[in-house]
Amino acid sequence: MPVDDVVLATQGDTAAFERVYRAHMPRIFNLARRMAGPDAAEELTQDVFVRAWQKLALFRGESSFATWLHRLAVNVIIERFRTLGTARERFLSDSEAVLDVAPAVRTKHLDLSMDLQVAIAQLPEGARTVFVLHDVEGYRHEEIGDILGVSPGTSKSQLHRARQTLRVLLNKKAVTGS
Amino acid sequence: MSEQRRFGESDHEPLNQDDILAQAIGQWRDELPSRDLWPGVSARLEARKAQRQVAFTLPQLAMAASLLIAVASGLTWMVARPPAAPGAGTQPVIQAYGAPEEAETGGQIVPANFADAQFNAAVSDLERILRDERGRLDPRTVLVIERNLKAIDAAIQEARMALNNDPANPYLNSHLADARRRKLDLLRTVTTLASVGGD
Repeated sequence: MPVDDVVLATQGDTAAFERVYRAHMPRIFNLARRMAGPDAAEELTQDVFVRAWQKLALFRGESSFATWLHRLAVNVIIERFRTLGTARERFLSDSEAVLDVAPAVRTKHLDLSMDLQVAIAQLPEGARTVFVLHDVEGYRHEEIGDILGVSPGTSKSQLHRARQTLRVLLNKKAVTGS
Repeated sequence: MSEQRRFGESDHEPLNQDDILAQAIGQWRDELPSRDLWPGVSARLEARKAQRQVAFTLPQLAMAASLLIAVASGLTWMVARPPAAPGAGTQPVIQAYGAPEEAETGGQIVPANFADAQFNAAVSDLERILRDERGRLDPRTVLVIERNLKAIDAAIQEARMALNNDPANPYLNSHLADARRRKLDLLRTVTTLASVGGD
């Protein structure tokens, strides 16, 4: 995508903004799909680009546009969680039981990605968010802490919990094939 | 955030590639939406553009309110003073805002309805929205708006008092109707500004 399209979009050119949208939509859609699930991903993707249009003037070019947009998308998605009534206590709770860790099972499992999609939906939202941001999207704990308004230590414990739970669920699927 | 960074390269407990979780993430392929999402985005952008076009800047609002107050005060003074000569200028030319059409009233001037339920309900709704949204406006802006609204209310009150003595006066009725319409316009504009400004 030409860099000029972002500049033109900032000046109100919707045709240029459509090109920006086309270039970045797949990544944003998949971020939303992984963080919020497939049912909410399409609407959230639209929300992200509407918000991006409103905030374009704030983009100063200090990071790449893709990075700026990605961070904005994460914020929009987390806002949605909170708007939908996800209480902060629930979002960041450490009190939920962690399933016992099963020994790793090497398997010729055919579609782990589908299993992961199902397993991740069973995580509490806080753990799911930290897992996706850290292990899939590559954010650091300090960055996740900034985004969620928690300490890096909380992010680490959420990640630990998410990984343990996901391993249990994936291994269970691998063993039982169900 | 580094865009290229992926799992296993992070700063905390990198996943072992043999880990079933790492394998699952590696297989987690991207997908595309089931439909083109751009038309929905585009429609929302156009709606916001239109919303912005009807919004005024705060200095414009303040100036409009001040102008309204000046005009309202002048009109009140002109209308309330004693007539210059008997029989002069008695033909009504302006009908009260919101009054029935002339055909329905036999050409008689209908005094403005001071307890106009629709007007009160509309003002009440807009004032409630403004109260809810005021947190999204600069506190200094809120002060200016409230000061101007008070001044407009005072002008409306003056017109009402003058009409108590001369209920059929077409100029007073027109002036009151105009002031009320302008109050509604101002409230509508400010509430639009508040809802847009918080984005």
